[in-house]
Amino acid sequence: MNVRRHPFAASVSLLVLLFLWLPLIVVAVNSFNQQTIMAGWGGFTTHWYGLALHDQNVRTGLETTLYIAVASALLSLAIAVSGALWWRRASPKARAVYDGLIYARIILPEVVSATALFFLFLKIHFTLGLTAIVIGHTVWNSAYAAIIVQARMAGLDPALEEAAADLGATPWRTFRRVTFAALLPAIIAAGLLAFTFSFDDVVTSVFLQGASNTPLPVVILGMIRFRITPEINAIGLLVMLFTVTLMSIAVLIYATAGSLGRSGRRGNMLDIYRGR
Amino acid sequence: MTDAAVDINGVEKRFGDLVAVRNLDLRIEPGEFFSIIGPSGCGKTTTLRMIAGFEDPTAGRISVGGRDMTGVRPYRRPVNTVFQSYALFPHLDVFENVAFGLREAKVGKAEVRTRVDEAVTLVQLQGRERSRPRQLSGGQQQRVALARALVNRPEVLLLDEPLGALDLKLRTDMQTQLKDLQRSVGVTFCYVTHDQGEAFSMSDRVAVMNHGLLEQVGTPEEIYHRPASSFVADFVGTANRFAGRVEGVEADRYAVAIDGIGRRTARGPAGLESGAAVLVLVRPENLVLNGSVGESGGLDANVVDTAFLGAERTVRLHSPKLGELTATARGSGEPPEQGSRVGLSWADDDAWLIPAADAAS
Repeated sequence: MNVRRHPFAASVSLLVLLFLWLPLIVVAVNSFNQQTIMAGWGGFTTHWYGLALHDQNVRTGLETTLYIAVASALLSLAIAVSGALWWRRASPKARAVYDGLIYARIILPEVVSATALFFLFLKIHFTLGLTAIVIGHTVWNSAYAAIIVQARMAGLDPALEEAAADLGATPWRTFRRVTFAALLPAIIAAGLLAFTFSFDDVVTSVFLQGASNTPLPVVILGMIRFRITPEINAIGLLVMLFTVTLMSIAVLIYATAGSLGRSGRRGNMLDIYRGR
Repeated sequence: MTDAAVDINGVEKRFGDLVAVRNLDLRIEPGEFFSIIGPSGCGKTTTLRMIAGFEDPTAGRISVGGRDMTGVRPYRRPVNTVFQSYALFPHLDVFENVAFGLREAKVGKAEVRTRVDEAVTLVQLQGRERSRPRQLSGGQQQRVALARALVNRPEVLLLDEPLGALDLKLRTDMQTQLKDLQRSVGVTFCYVTHDQGEAFSMSDRVAVMNHGLLEQVGTPEEIYHRPASSFVADFVGTANRFAGRVEGVEADRYAVAIDGIGRRTARGPAGLESGAAVLVLVRPENLVLNGSVGESGGLDANVVDTAFLGAERTVRLHSPKLGELTATARGSGEPPEQGSRVGLSWADDDAWLIPAADAAS
């Protein structure tokens, strides 16, 4: 952009970038800061990382979160893949309803779906806890996964499966060697995405955790309410690096996956991520 | 009598209210290059898909190599298909694409290696085994599709407009290669196309379909020179036609009164009755144009237009007695001038009769 010609737009952009990145930089820098009150630079240390990694709360939080994220990702994939398989042979009307339900889950504010589930679980006497959180995460995770898998499925030429059958592959072998193989990049990407979304979720987890162990993001929230230490910066940076890495892998897999028989209908995963 | 490579018996296929193929009987002989041609929607592709097993006939029976295929799923049939879109597996390289069928058939590793090598050599793609389909040109992809099907040694190879996506030059090359390939491997080919020239240049026999019905089966020469219907005559080339009536049968020829010009002799299918309404068909290349009007029995025409096509020249004519006509002039002689009057004639052997009842449809 020409700064001189668009001084206003340029300064707004600068401010946005500043507000977006400055806190992250501050967190990163402070995670290595020796000074406990973080008023200034007290010298370099990795002490906080050691503290964070040995903090029992953090460790159980991480375990809980990993359990929830893995379970929710797998469940979402099962729903997304079977949904996509059905979607392909469904009537246009049924497809429209199915797609509508997907977008509803994405558009719906998380607070609303979490509250709704909270009251539903109370009503049917379903004990709140890890399972409830997994279900809560799967509500929106499965919608994102479905969009990614479906986009790939739409690009899959049905002639490929006919060709496999023609070459002697049974329906199961055709699914394994052609359909599933073609969907694999989308499945991996959708799985990583779902995992990441679940990994850093706070809202749904807070509503549905009940008396169970607390997931890591909620642990962090509790910690900063109590006191702010550089340890939180260390945890924050680790979580950030972890999720960014996963997301990058997901995007990379999806972007480099070759197009299928049909001309390039590729969903753009970045758009989905921005929408969240 | 040996079993037919493909025997189609009274087959009908409906999609809801639409009848795609009706009452089809067809026999494809072993080792033959057989083509099914017709305009889009004529049922040719549906027929091919029924042989492959992707569609089940609503009625009738299809046998391959003497075995009834009713209820036999595609993966159990001794046929392989070359798809119009090639349908190469994008996530597999050339070698694995070609090896797909062999792996499904649980062929041993060493044999897979030899047979894939053979097939790849056959279609001249040595050195491209590790390429992905998208790295290949259209013609190369087409050859991979061919190798992938042939490597399984099918009893019948089904080809669904395999050259449709290629440009003209490549298409002509591939036609020659396909024909040579078929001769050398000896597999029965069943080839579907809407391009009659393509079918004629490669096939031993051709079937012409229209609106789900089989119009005619025969050698390309038979189909071209002795079409069974007006539709066939038009589909495989241009035809001048004149209405007339059979007046008598003389050996293998008919005497026919042509409206406007009187009695002529023409060949025709056996069994035409005296008095039957017929169409007399003369191909453009058999219409002879003479400089002088008198010597052709008083037939003449005005040259409306000429078009230069390279090896030949198309002449559009208007005759007061016969209406619009098309003639083809060969060679490098002076073309007839636009607007000039020319004499018109044809040899009796070059006139062919079609029952006029058919012409009504």
